[in-house]
Amino acid sequence: MNKKTPYILIMPIVLLGVLFIYGLVNGIIQSFGYIPALDLGNFTLDYYIEILKDPTFIDSLKVSLKISIISSILAMVLGTILTTALVYTGHTEGKTLQIIKLAILIPHTIVALFSISLLSQNGLIARLFYNLGFISAQGDFPLLLYTENSLGIILGYLWKEVPFVAYFSLALMNSINKTLGEASENLGASRLKSFFYITLPLSMPAISKAFLIILTFSFGAYDLPFLLGATMPKALPVQAHLEYMHPDLRYRPYAMAMNGLILAVSWTMTGIYYLVKKKKGIKGDVHERY
Amino acid sequence: MELELKNISVKLSNKEILKSINLKVNNGEFISLLGASGCGKSTMLKTIAGIIKQNEGSILLGGNLADKIPAHKRKTVIVFQDFRLFPHMTVAENISFPLKMMGTNKTKCREKAIELLEKVQLKGFENRHIDELSGGQMQRVALARALAAEPTVLLLDEPFSSLDINLRKNMRELVLSLQKEYKITTLLVTHDQEEALTMSHRIAFIHNGQIEQYDSPENIFKHPVNTLVADYFAEGVYIDGDIIDNKFISGLFTLDANKDNGKYKCLVRPLAVKVKKAEKGCFKVLDKIFQGDNYLLKLSNIDKKLNLESIISAPVDILEGDLVDVDLDKERLIFIPE
Repeated sequence: MNKKTPYILIMPIVLLGVLFIYGLVNGIIQSFGYIPALDLGNFTLDYYIEILKDPTFIDSLKVSLKISIISSILAMVLGTILTTALVYTGHTEGKTLQIIKLAILIPHTIVALFSISLLSQNGLIARLFYNLGFISAQGDFPLLLYTENSLGIILGYLWKEVPFVAYFSLALMNSINKTLGEASENLGASRLKSFFYITLPLSMPAISKAFLIILTFSFGAYDLPFLLGATMPKALPVQAHLEYMHPDLRYRPYAMAMNGLILAVSWTMTGIYYLVKKKKGIKGDVHERY
Repeated sequence: MELELKNISVKLSNKEILKSINLKVNNGEFISLLGASGCGKSTMLKTIAGIIKQNEGSILLGGNLADKIPAHKRKTVIVFQDFRLFPHMTVAENISFPLKMMGTNKTKCREKAIELLEKVQLKGFENRHIDELSGGQMQRVALARALAAEPTVLLLDEPFSSLDINLRKNMRELVLSLQKEYKITTLLVTHDQEEALTMSHRIAFIHNGQIEQYDSPENIFKHPVNTLVADYFAEGVYIDGDIIDNKFISGLFTLDANKDNGKYKCLVRPLAVKVKKAEKGCFKVLDKIFQGDNYLLKLSNIDKKLNLESIISAPVDILEGDLVDVDLDKERLIFIPE
């Protein structure tokens, strides 16, 4: 291999990285009200202060936090149950894994369309219930999408995130179960005790990492809240997008300040995760050893 | 506790790993399961422990059928080759894990852990984390943890293979002293013939999923039933011949041999070959290899197309290229029926 080959191979990712960092820095500068092209030349915190005082923003923040926290916790619990079921029934490779991968590969927009065709009052389930006589009219089917409680968005995220948690933690849990789980059963632990004392605690690094990924993703993602969310209050990324698309370009700093706040919340979530991890003394090298 | 395997057969991924194994281990006995990698020794251990279910046959513990006893209630405890200590627990928590599973209270668990740590010569290690231990210390903790489970049968799965030679010797002595103290029926899986010979009351030599010979160390070494067993302990040269009226007759030599008439292979191991420097000797020294306490001489008799090896104690005045006379130590010759 030529000495230059590694540098050539790394070029695409470096270019993408530069573009990403440029966008990020540019966005943050704009969030402080500095856009010379629009005659905005002063650095100020006013946009942040104004947004933080705005009740619409606070409602959007609450909605986004609610969606991401509830969907991520549920996905973590259900994903862990799915992983456990797969590990204990021996379905850790082959077709089952392909099905899980397929669910991860489907884009969020397609998931939104599936959700609409399944869960709306004109959807398949409503029609089925109506035809089976469970409900007297399709309109009687409970409203699951576009509601203030964000049930549709949470269900959409679960569709994607439960398989993600399972896929992310499957290899680790399987290898722990085969080695340390086996050892604990041999030492007198029933399967249930072995799971709760050994397999689950040692699988937590993978599960909690998956949780952090889906928590920050669902907090900052735009597509599902846009397609399945209520008219008001809107999720934070949707609100930021609306500000961004405002015909008056001088609104751009508001959109960027919202993005800045999304970033700040995501970083705070990550910081809390690492602090908790450090305090608990969870060792990342469990991955490497087993 | 007495352990008995009756016609145990195990298939894994459609491959027959164990074939009709019969083995009886007396209470308090130390048995080695010896064989090359992949012969089925570890599978046998896991089957005894109930981790792998046998396809045929039965396992008896103390004369009672154990087939339906689940793994966690069998009390046939394995010390694994890779230790399998729980990385999220301290040394004391690891050792008291089996006690905790039995419902023992915290104080007693800790007391027992400290007592067992003393037994394995790791006093004061109770609050250490697993990643602060060396390989030998991990092995001792694994042993203490296994003892805490109050095993009726202790199963050691190549426990010394990852340790260096000096540490291995210490650990062997420790295991033997604890086995004697606790009088636990013990099965050691090993591929190291020296380990099996020095530690066990009896050795079961396993090849290709079958027990070829189950005997005392001395008998299995001196009277191997076939060439597979013989070669595993010490290789040598085979000379084909017949025993007729207590005489072994071959094209090379004739010897007294108190055996039944029939075709035999006479195994000549290096220790059975005595050499003496002689100007008109019929063997030539092809190679002289230093082995620490002794030398290995590679000899060749060109006339009779016979190559032999001899082990002689240092110092020795024989050099490469010298001619020597060879004398066979009849007590060390092994006759294996064909």
